[in-house]
Amino acid sequence: MLEISNLDVYYGDLQALWGISLSVEDGSVVTLVGSNGAGKSTLMQAIAGLLTPKAGSITFDGLRLDRLPAHRIVKSGVCMVPEGRRLFPRMTILENLEVGASTARKARQETLGWVYEVFPILEARSRQQAGTLSGGEQQMLAIGRALMSRPKLLLVDEMSLGLSPLATQSIAQVIKGLNESRRLTILLVEQDVQLALSLANKGYVIENGRIVGQGDAKDLLCSEEIKEAYLGMGKAG
Amino acid sequence: MHALIQTLLIGIVVGALYGVVALGFGLIVGVMKFVNIAHGSFIIIGGYVAFWLFTLLDIDPYLSIPLVMCAMFVLGLLLYQLVLSPLLKYPRAEMRLDKSLLVTFGVTWILDNAVTLLWTPDTRSIVTSYSGSTLDFFGAKLGVTGLAGLILAVLVALVMHLLLTRTYFGKHVRAATEDAGAAALSGVNVQRTYLVSCGIAAAMAGVAGVVIVSSYSIAPSGGLNWLLTAMVVMVLAGEGNVTYILPAGLILGIVQSISTLFVSSSYQQPIALIIFILVLMFRPNGLFARVGR
Amino acid sequence: MEVNWKKCLLLAVLLGLLVVVPLATDLGSNVMNVMVTLFIYIILAQSWNLIGGYTGQINLGIVAFFGISTMVTHFLWKAGAPIYLAIPAGSLSSAVLAALIGLPTLRLRGMYFAVGTLALAQAAQTIVANIFTRTVAMPGSFSTTYSLTPRYYLGLGLMVVTMIVVYAVTRSKMGLAMVAIRDDELAARVTGVRVFKYKVLALLISAALAGLAGGLYAYVRLSFWQISTVFSAAWTFDALLSVVVGGAGTLFGPVIGSIFLIVLSEIFANTMGQAHLIIFGFLFILVVLFLPQGLIGGVDLFRPRMRGRANRHKEESAHQTMSS
Repeated sequence: MLEISNLDVYYGDLQALWGISLSVEDGSVVTLVGSNGAGKSTLMQAIAGLLTPKAGSITFDGLRLDRLPAHRIVKSGVCMVPEGRRLFPRMTILENLEVGASTARKARQETLGWVYEVFPILEARSRQQAGTLSGGEQQMLAIGRALMSRPKLLLVDEMSLGLSPLATQSIAQVIKGLNESRRLTILLVEQDVQLALSLANKGYVIENGRIVGQGDAKDLLCSEEIKEAYLGMGKAG
Repeated sequence: MHALIQTLLIGIVVGALYGVVALGFGLIVGVMKFVNIAHGSFIIIGGYVAFWLFTLLDIDPYLSIPLVMCAMFVLGLLLYQLVLSPLLKYPRAEMRLDKSLLVTFGVTWILDNAVTLLWTPDTRSIVTSYSGSTLDFFGAKLGVTGLAGLILAVLVALVMHLLLTRTYFGKHVRAATEDAGAAALSGVNVQRTYLVSCGIAAAMAGVAGVVIVSSYSIAPSGGLNWLLTAMVVMVLAGEGNVTYILPAGLILGIVQSISTLFVSSSYQQPIALIIFILVLMFRPNGLFARVGR
Repeated sequence: MEVNWKKCLLLAVLLGLLVVVPLATDLGSNVMNVMVTLFIYIILAQSWNLIGGYTGQINLGIVAFFGISTMVTHFLWKAGAPIYLAIPAGSLSSAVLAALIGLPTLRLRGMYFAVGTLALAQAAQTIVANIFTRTVAMPGSFSTTYSLTPRYYLGLGLMVVTMIVVYAVTRSKMGLAMVAIRDDELAARVTGVRVFKYKVLALLISAALAGLAGGLYAYVRLSFWQISTVFSAAWTFDALLSVVVGGAGTLFGPVIGSIFLIVLSEIFANTMGQAHLIIFGFLFILVVLFLPQGLIGGVDLFRPRMRGRANRHKEESAHQTMSS
């Protein structure tokens, strides 16, 4: 269970997040919605350890994450699929996956088998260089790489970015499947608000670095404010 | 014909040394995006360690290599921990690179002066019973020390290659080279990877030093020339491509050597410089740019 | 533009003292020597400050521009040219050398400029050592008429000229461009700053100033036991140390730093000889790592200014995460 309490995050001297508080129950899918620049990715980066918050706390299963370096956070079971994938382009698919297993090396053969089950195409192309993959394949690899660390909580940052609607749907199915079959907890940041809220159980709305709303995903989807604010523009995704 | 083979042989031996010289430098630039101006000084210090082990304890230079590598490895760790790791707080790569230039310039200043103070500015070299011997190779002469240097270079490059491709550490190094942030997000302890890489880089500088003090000579002020060589070879190989460094070194060595058939040997440095500038202008990603992407 | 009257008054008084005191009393040749050396150091430090502190290009071979001017000045003066012409000629030769090295290397990434200048200085030292193996001296007539006083005043004058040049350049449009290049070259380029042009200009002016220092040194030194020492890396290191300790990217940082350096040198050189160089090395590293703004609180070399920094962080993060 992820608990964020009163989090303040800065970029240098500029404050980006104010007093963020949210929680993610085990086994649920929670989504953060908000317009561009609202702070969604900033929050994800703070959780994953790329940014250190100035105030507040991030706790996962009782362990304080906010002062830990990124690799230790991965070791404690929280792994991020970064915005823009951030693969290692000159390394092969297999090597990318192997790096993903850095904190869970002992079980890596088994985990690899599982990841190949979820994404058979990765097995077929395992010797191919990551930089030569299509957008959708790259997203699969990015998720696969994160899965190699055997996470309890998966942070997915803008998975639909640069993907075709078809690829997005297929990735979305995978995400849903991971949650349902493996009880993998998922925190999702997604531009496509409709998609995000349809995948999630619960949603938080973030605007200008603050949480301005929260609730059941279905309720949010129907709310007038969300419809006006986001769905009017969100249809482009 | 003899002349041609001899020239090629010299080029290969010299080029192999160039490769070893550049490996440590290229590793640090590639992985951490820091420039170690003190790399040349490390090479010289490696040579001195071998020299004193030979002079005081009668240890054959090539047998002293493990010792030299250990000593230099520690020096590399110290370099990273004390001087380079504080630079990680700067988020921008250019800033870090520029700061590393300044800071390692300071290191080289300290090291060169310390070495001069401790061991005088005199030139040193190791002369063993076999130093002057040569082997016959299709009518051309190959010095024993040259052959030893060549074998060492190939060994070191091979070990480096295997390390990078077959071990987890190597994969961490390559991942950090391509995207340090993503590596951290994948669970790689990037700082520790940097630390060990620095140690390895220094150890390789040590090996280069041993070869140099056995085949040529060292002096406290000699580091800079080797630093320049390392940089030229690195550019030929392409920044971040540690695997191509030995081949790049060989190419440089052979081209330089062949040029002596046409022009006086005092032009070798300017020729290296011209190659360097040409590659930077027309193949900024190195000679092997098309391979591997 | 705000003019700090108190500061101007203080400067005027200081300058006045520097002009008048040696005329009024005999300070002794030791003190005068130290003062002239100080002037040389200040000029060279300002030279590095201009290219390194303000424009952010790390020049590790600035001694090349110093040394060439020393030699040109020396030989012209020996050949009969008045010193007032020989020194500017030396300075010009420095600028020419700067153009030769700068044009190819300034287009490249910072590390190539740094190592390139380092290589140039080294090459110069080697070549000169090979050509001039014996003492390079002035005819006796020069030594017998040697007096520190004109050297002191020439040095003072050149130092003032240097300060004025640095002041003028950094307050001009060029100065803005230089700082923009230092803080974020990419941003500067995309906003239309002619990056290459300003880098070259900054280098030329920097070299010319280094040339003034070199020419002054030729005037002061007269003869050289081993002339290749004018290309010694020690000059570069001292200039770097002065600027970093004093405060890079400020007008008075290099002055403070040079004074600091001279004072420390006097103290340490007497007590520990050669080893003091090593101490200075440690000092340099410590300052770069832990007091990057120097004594005066200048710009942390290469750290962009407060306002822009946060936005750049955000941009960068977005930039980083966008690449796949």
